[in-house]
Amino acid sequence: MMKTSSATIDLSHPRGFEITALAALFVLTLRQHLRGRRLWVLMLLFLLPSLLVVLVRLTNRPPPPEHLEFAFVFNLIPHVLATLTALLYAAGIIQDEIEEQTLTYLLIRPLPRWALYLTKLAVTIVVTSTITAAFTALAYIVIYWNTDKLWGEVLTERVPKAAALFALAQVGYCSLFGAVSMLTRRSLIAGLAYIVAFEGILANFASVVRQLTVMFYFRVLAVRWLNPADSKGWSIDLDTAPSALSCVEILLVASLAFAVIGAALMVGREFRVKTPEGS
Amino acid sequence: MDLDTSYKVARPAEVTQPGPGEVTPTGLPGVTPIVAFEGVSKWYGNVIGLNKLTLRIAAGVTGLLGPNGAGKSTFLQLATGQLNPSQGTVRVLGQPVWNNPPMMRQIGLCPEQDAFYEWMTGFDFVRTCARLSGMNRPTARAAAEKALATVGMTQNMNRAISGYSKGMRQRTKLAQALVHGPRVLFLDEPFTGTDPVGRHEMIEVIHGLGERGCSVVVSSHVLHEVQALTSNVVLLHRGRLVAEGNVRQIRDLIDGHPHRIVLVCDDYRGLAAKVVAWKDVEGVQMLNKQSAVLVETREPDVFYGRLPALATQGGAGIKEVYSDDDNLEAVFQYLVK
Repeated sequence: MMKTSSATIDLSHPRGFEITALAALFVLTLRQHLRGRRLWVLMLLFLLPSLLVVLVRLTNRPPPPEHLEFAFVFNLIPHVLATLTALLYAAGIIQDEIEEQTLTYLLIRPLPRWALYLTKLAVTIVVTSTITAAFTALAYIVIYWNTDKLWGEVLTERVPKAAALFALAQVGYCSLFGAVSMLTRRSLIAGLAYIVAFEGILANFASVVRQLTVMFYFRVLAVRWLNPADSKGWSIDLDTAPSALSCVEILLVASLAFAVIGAALMVGREFRVKTPEGS
Repeated sequence: MDLDTSYKVARPAEVTQPGPGEVTPTGLPGVTPIVAFEGVSKWYGNVIGLNKLTLRIAAGVTGLLGPNGAGKSTFLQLATGQLNPSQGTVRVLGQPVWNNPPMMRQIGLCPEQDAFYEWMTGFDFVRTCARLSGMNRPTARAAAEKALATVGMTQNMNRAISGYSKGMRQRTKLAQALVHGPRVLFLDEPFTGTDPVGRHEMIEVIHGLGERGCSVVVSSHVLHEVQALTSNVVLLHRGRLVAEGNVRQIRDLIDGHPHRIVLVCDDYRGLAAKVVAWKDVEGVQMLNKQSAVLVETREPDVFYGRLPALATQGGAGIKEVYSDDDNLEAVFQYLVK
């Protein structure tokens, strides 16, 4: 009987993957993210802080800009908008392709599955960080409009630091929600539950649990880098809190761990396409 | 239509000589199977997709036949590395395909699902697929143009896919499967939704690919579609291999049953009046909800042979042709008894 040996066929192409294929995937995913209705909805939501600031500043006794900064830049945006953006995009890293039945076109290309996942995750981080940074900058401009600080400290120091801070948070959130989306189809519900329970409630209590949240490190970094007004309510003792470098390291290492988990799940998972005939 | 029939695959499938005393798994002397399933089973929870399937497919064009639910799509998803077998081994060109990205350079798949990045043009879509296969920009552009010319889509390639007809979408799917010059091409129900002329042209394209050394596995639940492509068929039913071999033997069984063909057309009543006069047509039934006519014939070859001419006649306007599955199911029931 003849052996069905593999040695008879010589694959002329090298093993591994080509950077051009990953670059094409990066561009494709970027185009997908920038086209969707989701982007427009999020952009409208992100305009909310700026619109609210305008309304507040139109009142007879507007609060000082520092208080507005704390309320909107350090509370509304990170608690609601940034987390929601990360969840909506990261939960769809692969799920969107499954729902639109286009994942097949990616799986039948010479791309390792882990590279496919990580490339799409990278695009998601870039897009969510850019959206958050852009609208945070807009909120800063509206908050400090007509003040001496705007063209000095705000645009040259606070906005870049806040952008970096949000980028770090988005790296953490996207990696986490991406991994969750590989574990369950109900990643949106699971993600929302996590945001409310951990990032929304438990992050406010001075306990060990809050050290498991992205929000804790975000706040420590915010205090260390930007020292926002009213941050005493966060109950962060700088003497015992991790250093800025430690916060960055913890966020990046945790993100890397979640990214690896997501990629590993992608490698082992099957994506059955239900055909129109159900065969 | 502007068919470019000069399309060539990267390399023809290799042929190896068996050692002394060896018999090739395909049953053909000296031929390594392009697809080899060894005791492959695939379960979806409690549902079985394939059941201990052992099968070797030789180079050339092969038809994969079976009614709905037979396991054809599971077979193709396993053969293209999208699924991992629950049991057994799947090899294409002698290599395992699950989690083997380099193998994807050798494989092309035209999936059954009618899904695209709708916002792209046909050219953009096929070029993107070429880029995802690792081609640089100029090469991908040239390959996309050539693949689209091969399937006769040059004139429409710069239109948005969302505006394509079903036939154009099928051709675009075929183009993305060809664009990287695969050695083995898997086509999952490629004729679904095509009009008679488009179907005839796609058959020509697939014939051309086979002649140029590309091995093609075509799944269908319509025997006469497959018969137009090849005499080698594999019959699946409920996840099991029922028969493999020459299509003629299967044909004889099929012809014992009236063949039911559905023609979708705006003026389906006018169309019914025309076809009812044909001697090979045994019965005609109006499907008002579908704007279609269901035709029964015992001479499907003759009927299918007339369709392209009818479709091109003014006023016929046939949009879609498909075979009702019941007759094939009846034959399979007979075969598995």
